[in-house]
Formats: sequence, C-alpha cells, structure tokens
Amino acid sequence: MSANPVPGVSPDSLVEIRDLVIGIQRTRKDRLIIVDSANFDIRRAETLGLVGESGSGKTMVCRSLIGTLKRRSASIFAGSIIFDGLDLANLDERQWRPVRGNRIGYVPQSALTGPNPVMTVGKQLGEAVRRNRKRKDKDVRKRGMELLDLVHIRRPEVVYDQYPFQLSGGMRQRVMIAAAIAQDPDIVVADEPTTGLDVTVQAEIMKLLQEIRSEFNMSVVLVSHDLALIDEVCDRLVVMHAGTCVEVGTVPDVASTPLHPYTIALNRSRIDIATPGAPLVTIKGNPPAVGEWPPGCRFAERCDLVQEDCAVGRNPALVEVRPAHWSACLHTELLGGSHG
Amino acid sequence: MTAPTPTTDAESALKESGHGDGPRPQSTGEKILRRTGRAIIVAFWVMVVAFMLIRLSPGDPVTAALGGDAAPETVEALRKTLGLDVDPLTQFWQYFTGLFQGDLGASLISGIPVTEMLRTNLPVTLWLILTTVVMTLVISIPLAMFIALARIPGLPYVFRTLTAIGLALPSFLVALILLYQFGLVWGIAPIFGYDPTFPANMQYLWLPALVNCVVLVPVLSRVLYSSILDTLDEEFVETGVIRGVRSFRFFWFYVLRPSLAPTVVLLSYMMGVMVGSTVILEIIFALPGIGRELVTAVTMRDYPVVQGIILVFGILVVFLSLLGDIVASILDPRVKLT
Repeated sequence: MSANPVPGVSPDSLVEIRDLVIGIQRTRKDRLIIVDSANFDIRRAETLGLVGESGSGKTMVCRSLIGTLKRRSASIFAGSIIFDGLDLANLDERQWRPVRGNRIGYVPQSALTGPNPVMTVGKQLGEAVRRNRKRKDKDVRKRGMELLDLVHIRRPEVVYDQYPFQLSGGMRQRVMIAAAIAQDPDIVVADEPTTGLDVTVQAEIMKLLQEIRSEFNMSVVLVSHDLALIDEVCDRLVVMHAGTCVEVGTVPDVASTPLHPYTIALNRSRIDIATPGAPLVTIKGNPPAVGEWPPGCRFAERCDLVQEDCAVGRNPALVEVRPAHWSACLHTELLGGSHG
Repeated sequence: MTAPTPTTDAESALKESGHGDGPRPQSTGEKILRRTGRAIIVAFWVMVVAFMLIRLSPGDPVTAALGGDAAPETVEALRKTLGLDVDPLTQFWQYFTGLFQGDLGASLISGIPVTEMLRTNLPVTLWLILTTVVMTLVISIPLAMFIALARIPGLPYVFRTLTAIGLALPSFLVALILLYQFGLVWGIAPIFGYDPTFPANMQYLWLPALVNCVVLVPVLSRVLYSSILDTLDEEFVETGVIRGVRSFRFFWFYVLRPSLAPTVVLLSYMMGVMVGSTVILEIIFALPGIGRELVTAVTMRDYPVVQGIILVFGILVVFLSLLGDIVASILDPRVKLT
C-alpha cells in the first residue's frame, strides 16, 4: 500500500487509522483480505459513525480497535492504528491488557448475548471495576451501583444481584454500557449496539450513549448500517464498502453534498424518508463478496455513473475533495446532478 | 401505564410492573420439589411395567424350579406358597402394599429377601456407575477444551474420526479386548473378583469403568466440544476478554460453565442407559453387582427379584436424570427446571 492522502489529520485526533489491512491467513500462502485501506481518524470527544452494508468490514475495524481479531482467527497484515503514541496494530497480548477495557471500552453488538449468562450483573461489573487488581468487595459493589445509576437503571441494588436472563434487552445493554465505562475510557466502541432492541429502546440507548459521551468527554465509535441513526447522533461518519473507506466527512457535509455514489445510494434506500406507497428503493446488485473484489472501484458494477476508467487498476484511494471531506470516487464531478 | 419517564426503558418498565398477570414465579426449591414429585410418579409406572413385563413373558417360575414333568399336586402346592395362586391384580396389590413396608419379597429360588440381595449387590453397581461418571468427566472435559481451544489444524478432524470409531465399538467387545490386554497380556488389572471396601474396590472397577468410557467419552466430548465452539462464538466471551478476565476464571466462567449444561443433561441420560449395560460388564468382569443377579433371576423366572431389581434400576434412572437437570440448572441459570 502506498501512502494514501491522510484524511482528518487534526490536532484533535485521538486515533489515526492508516492503510489498515485486515484478513485471515488461511494457509501459509492463502490470505483472505477482509478490509484493505481503512483510513480515518477518531477525534477527541466526537461520535464517529461507521456505516456500510454487512460484509463491508465495519466489525473487523471495530475488533482491531479492541484487539480481539485474533479470537476470530483474523489479523492485521499492514497499516497502523496510532493511539496516544501506541501502534495498536502491533501490540501483543500483554501490551493490549492496559489498553483494552481500560482506555478503550466496548459495547457488544447484541444485548441478548453480550452479558455472560452464568454470572450476575454485579459479578460482571465487578470484573470491569476490579480489572484483576485487589479491591475491597465493598468498594467494588459501591462502584458497581454507581455505574448502574449512571446508566439510569432503577433499583440498582436489585439488578446488581440478578442474572442477565432476568433483565430486558434494554436493561442488559445498559449494563453492558456501564461495564464499558467502568474504567473511564477515552473511547467507547459500540458495534451496532441496538441490534434486536425495539425502536423506543433503541432511541433510549442512543440517548444514553450521547449523554455519557458528553459527560465524560469520551469518543464514541458507533457502527451501524442505519444511516438515519448515524445522521441523528454522529458528528462525523465513515462510509465503508467492500473493505474500503469510500467517504469520510462531517455528518452535515455528507448529508448535503455526498461525494460518493455509494453514499448517495445508501441515502436513497433509507426507509425513513421513503415516499409512502412508492416502491422502496434498493441498491442494485450485491456488494462484491470478500475475496472476489473486482479491479478498480469496487462499487463500479453497481454504480449508475460508472465510467470507463472506474473498473480498472487499483482500488481508488480517498482524496480530499472538499475541505475535511474525503471521497474515493474518481468522478466526483459527475455527482452534482444526481442528487438534491 | 403512564408515559414512561425519559430515563426508563419502556420495555423494562413493563417487565418490572408485570407481576400481577402470569403465574407466580416459583422458587428453585419449589421447582426441585415438583420435579421430584414427577420423578416419583415415573418410578411408580416403572414398577407397574416391571410387574407386568415378567408375567407377560413366556415361562413361569414353578416350572423353572420343579422342571417340566413335576406332579400337578406339587406344582399347585408351590404355586400356593409363592402366592401365585391368586389373580395378577391381587398379586400386584400385595406387592404394592409390601413396598411401603420395605418388603420387596423374597427370591422364589433361594428364599433370600430381595432387600438383602440389594444390600449386598447394589453398592457394587453404584460404585461402578460413580467411577464411570468421574472417569468420563475427567477425560471428556479437558479433551473437549483442548480440541476447541488449541486450534491445531486437522486436530478436530482426527478427533471426530476417533470418536466415531469409539462410538461404533460395541462395549462387550471393548470389554473383552481390554480385559485380555490389561488383564492377561500386561497383567495390570485383576481378571475377576471384587473387594467391597473403598478404595480397594477401585482396583477392580477401573477397567470396567474404562470400557464405559470408550462409549461415553466420544459422545460427551463431542457434545461438549461443539457447545464450547458455540460459546466461544458468543459475544460475552469478547466482553470477558476486554474486561481483562484471564486464566482459570476465564476458562471456568466464560468458556466451560456456559457450555456444560447440555453435556451434564446428556451424561445423566447416558448413565441411565449405562445402568443397562453394566449388566454385561458385571458378567464379563465377574463383578458381584445387581445386574448379574438380574440376568440369573430372569432366566429362573424369579418374579420378586426381577421386579425388585427393575424397580431399583428405574428409580436410579429417574434419579440420575433428575440430578442431571438440577446440576445443569445450578451451573447455568438459563436452564429452566420444568
């Protein structure tokens, strides 16, 4: 990978992800690349949205931020994730320990399987509070209650001793958020944290994340395929397609002048702005399967504006088309008429 | 319900306030009690079946004892002393009421009370079952964990192949092979005999238990292996890693305990099946267990002994599955005792 233009360099950058390549080493010679050239920053105290269809590599990027790729037999082949002078791409298990959970918290995808089913809420919070250090049980319990209170759980003293299966989905996810912020981390990574929750509960969980972000000055990385949700709660967003970042910018910029046909297509297919009675708009075709990426722009096959030079050569890199607004589209000049 | 306060999940508020409708939640004690009650009813039906089964099968104890050409008067006299001259329903009633006085009848052949036979022979069988359970767990758990966690390419394939072979071997054949190899060739296991005291009895029990393991370990380790793989795929394992949970605590709370319930339930069920197969093992290893007595009693049409032993086996099976369910629900609170 050559040095791509660097998106979002700013004094506020907390994490800088550069040319990140993630994949699975299947045999000695056979590598399955799942993400290549992920390029974006996470700024201090911002909510960053990571959006894209399933299989676009969002979750892999998340896992690289919390150091759990190896558990899924994946690893980082190239690139860097610079966080406070550390390159997270090159940490070993021992070096990860003080970072993951301490400085980078994680809220799991599913409220149903996120909490450990065989341990009480208190026991799990206790682990997050204690972190293998010796602390008095009384202090741990006190801090646990405090955390439950922070995430607005009523009757924390009851919930503390309950098992996850006795709680509703929304409450479980609140508990997971409480555990994620136990060490007052700099970043909380939330991988589709509202999967499987009903809409009112979703809204409450998002509100809670926002509240905690501003109260503790944390950065939140929010992964979602729901563009409406991202628009509502995020400051900036990263659009991913087939293992690449195709557009990076602030939410208002991307909403008013999207610079990639994929973003435009995503926007069109939003259900919340669909015209009642009219057929729902979908993006034509399917995203190219992992390992079967075509040459050139990987969206070319599905793109209405495809040009001759789109589907040849290398995967186009992000270019700063407008100030602080990057796109990997080779023909942003054609986008003017196709929207708005 | 009034509008939910902004800080409460509408969903959880519903859940919390929903005590009035729906059945009152039962405590664990209540559930165990109810489950035990059901087990007793099952045991009753086991008894009824045991009673009927032996009477419905061809042959009768009087002919078996006196031979086919005995004088009719002698046959009639013996029939009377054995209480077989009345109709089966009355026989059943006498048997049933006798149970509550701890009277299981006496052998028609030797005259020894069935309870006496149980007292001397049942412990051997129970020890064999207990040894089998312990050995199976001691082998299966580390094996399954190792295969699931070591991530050695090709190892799961070898494991599946070997377990399939183990499963396919009939246990009497395994018993004979092991007995020949360990007992005769290497001479490290006694070929027959038994010592009723612990731990001296282990010397005689480890080999028959090992035979049981050849069948049980493949089943259990495979079930446990796939449960562990499922567990490792769950997101809570990720959250555990992120909280920095390590070593023993991690393997117990995040890997093994959430995976154990199906294995425990299966083990308790398999032990029920094993109660039957101990009969064969007791004959091959010449262990004075209750299973061997059962075989003798069946060939002699010794009604009270057959009934008594089948009743005990039935209760054992019911009790083992009850125990399995209780242990599973303690290990994993998601498992409901119903």
